[in-house]
Amino acid sequence: MADVLDIENQDEFEFDEDGDQGVAKLKEKAKKRKGRGFGGGHEAREEIKGYEAVDADAADDEPGPQRSVEGWILFVTGVNEEAQEEDIHDKFAEFGEIKNIHLNLDRRTGFLKGYALVEYETFKEAQAALEKLNESEILGQKISVDWCFVKGPKKNKRERRRR
Amino acid sequence: MPKSEFYLRYYVGHKGKFGHEFLEFEFRPDGKLRYANNSNYKNDTMIRKEAYVHQSVLNELKRVIEDSEILQEDDSLWPTPDRVGRQELEIVMGDEHISFSTSKIGSLVDVNQSKDADGLRAFYYLVQDLKCLVFSLIGLHFKIKPI
Repeated sequence: MADVLDIENQDEFEFDEDGDQGVAKLKEKAKKRKGRGFGGGHEAREEIKGYEAVDADAADDEPGPQRSVEGWILFVTGVNEEAQEEDIHDKFAEFGEIKNIHLNLDRRTGFLKGYALVEYETFKEAQAALEKLNESEILGQKISVDWCFVKGPKKNKRERRRR
Repeated sequence: MPKSEFYLRYYVGHKGKFGHEFLEFEFRPDGKLRYANNSNYKNDTMIRKEAYVHQSVLNELKRVIEDSEILQEDDSLWPTPDRVGRQELEIVMGDEHISFSTSKIGSLVDVNQSKDADGLRAFYYLVQDLKCLVFSLIGLHFKIKPI
């Protein structure tokens, strides 16, 4: 049985044909359309190939959380708009050393947008924080905690097709 | 019944002395986030990154878009793209598909002086919120520290 996987070329030069087709179909499905962007004139768009990705652990092909370059990142939502970075830090520090927090503002109101990214160095720390803090509260408001990044679909699904 | 459809793409750029300088990012329904930043300034090359985000990130993105009410807007009265540059925002949500194009917006002064200040303002702030999210995602995932 021929193995169509080219192991040399990881994600570097992958043509996401399935993805592109999926997106094209999705756009056709929409019933209501609005905007000047329709009807050609897309000279602005360049065809970009070869996006870099963080290499997924080759040995582990199961879907699940994806490690980032220097750690594991959690995505927190439902953050009270008046919370401060200190509130996030105090809650999450219990599970390990926090490497990074991004707590973005709503650019119009100046309050918090409502989400945060929290990074730990190890999977164990991140997972513990996720399990304990998901559905807990900050300033009386329930937060959700999930992994931020996940592994893409399995590589074997993406065969090179000759058209 | 198809699950709720979602797609988002934003582009801002211009062509000039340093080539085609642009920033573009795209969220696909399967969670793939693609980011590209290009300039030939000082012979720089293109930055291209991609990652798959968790459904919770997509959900938050949808919430941000809904809160902005951008889908109720229309770009017909917005300034058209010009030599200075262009912005494009394309969103598919449910059975609605918008594809807006306009020129670059320098500041709120440009917004307030336009023919559809309210609509353009919604666009202006949404784009800032989207950039914030994307820069955090890409910056942290690939450990690119801002200068």
